[in-house]
Amino acid sequence: MGFIKKDLAMIKSNFKLLGILLVVYTIMGLLGQMDISFILPFISVMIMISTFSYDNYNKWDAYAACLPNGRKNSVRAKYITTILMIMVVAIITIILSFIISYVNTQTINYGQILVSMLGTIFGTLLVLTFMYPIIYKFGIEKARIGIFLIVFGVVIIGGFIVKYGDLSFAIKALNFFENYLVIILILLTIIMVYTSYKISVKIYRKKEF
Amino acid sequence: MENALEVKNLHKEYADFILDDVSFSLPKGMIMGFIGENGAGKTTTIKAILNIITSYTGEIKIFGLDNRENEAQIKEEIGVVLDDIFFPEILTPNDINNSMQGIYKNWDANMFYNYLKKFLLLPNKQIKTFSKGMRKKLEIITALAHHPKLLILDEPTSGLDPVARAEVINMFQDILEKDECSILLSSHITTDLEHIADYITFINKGKILLSKTTNELLDKYGIVKCGEAEFKKIAKKDYLKYRKTKYEYEVLVEDKKAFKAKYNIGLIDKITLDDLMVIMIKGEE
Repeated sequence: MGFIKKDLAMIKSNFKLLGILLVVYTIMGLLGQMDISFILPFISVMIMISTFSYDNYNKWDAYAACLPNGRKNSVRAKYITTILMIMVVAIITIILSFIISYVNTQTINYGQILVSMLGTIFGTLLVLTFMYPIIYKFGIEKARIGIFLIVFGVVIIGGFIVKYGDLSFAIKALNFFENYLVIILILLTIIMVYTSYKISVKIYRKKEF
Repeated sequence: MENALEVKNLHKEYADFILDDVSFSLPKGMIMGFIGENGAGKTTTIKAILNIITSYTGEIKIFGLDNRENEAQIKEEIGVVLDDIFFPEILTPNDINNSMQGIYKNWDANMFYNYLKKFLLLPNKQIKTFSKGMRKKLEIITALAHHPKLLILDEPTSGLDPVARAEVINMFQDILEKDECSILLSSHITTDLEHIADYITFINKGKILLSKTTNELLDKYGIVKCGEAEFKKIAKKDYLKYRKTKYEYEVLVEDKKAFKAKYNIGLIDKITLDDLMVIMIKGEE
């Protein structure tokens, strides 16, 4: 718990920024402007990633290694705090979306809002799943370049497949899974995040500071 | 006597540095000064003891337990102050207290805040607003507030002005009076150690040159100051190292009384740890 408190204390100065963004989101929604709800959970992850830089600057990792169960709990705290932050921001966004939807149309489109937020959470956790082990392996400074290359690579490959690949099979598969999509997505997310956590712990346990 | 810390045959290799067969032990309730020039291997040894570095060979026992097999248990009882390694500086002493309450079973918030008050450190100020001396004091308070049985301090007084240094040293003595605690204190400011250390361990180029009680070192060892003709009379086995200065020879002897009885030459000075370090490192055999 102590390590989570430390991470939460580090991001508390960013809560104001998140608050402002939520207000901006609400105003834009009420004015019928672009939907930026997907940005909010992503910003939470970015805020959490900034804590790695602060840790690195004061060599916190070496200090954490001197504390009881420091290595394992330090990694665990990063994952839990990030997930907690994404969830809290997502729930607030969902509630605001309901309000915006009701004010604008007098009805609430529950299904669409929930599915779109679930997609956002999945995407955000995907970022965490890939980025955290990379950060633990190479350190935040080197990881930044790595992260850029991965995102760049995924966009290029994705674009290539969409343009030249045959996607009819994937669409068929998606149709088949449609009824189970939400459950599959949730299960997949849990497995992904857990595996990523285990890999990070393994990397971090052996690391020398 | 039971040992708080035992290091046996510690070996770690880097491309440009080898920690070679380091062995020493720190008896319970004692303070050991760990001295050596910058880059001698003090921090690497400490990092191995604390498992900050992991790929080393050798045996390290703390309170009689293997430091890797019983890591979590051991770390509940250790307090550390390391050079430039601490909580992120955007945090405040309040944040440190909140976190540490969830990390150490024995965290003593009262003690933490009492010391903050004593050293005029504001609990709600970010660490980055503190001066170097204030930061060091905060690091030391943080290391002490769970009543550790072993304190490992890497250069806790480096970069501090003489007043802050005296305050920090007093803090350690204060703690030793209250708690049954052993201390491994690395420093290249050896004058601090002459006053408080019971043992001195001297490391150079990754090797332990000596590990003895401070009294034995300061009382027994001596520096013979003599001219060239007198120096030539001294048998090689009767001195450890010598140094030729502009006007005289400085000869380090292990037992100044025995030397005096045998030779009765030159002037024998009491040794300081600084002298010892310089002549051991720069002197010839």
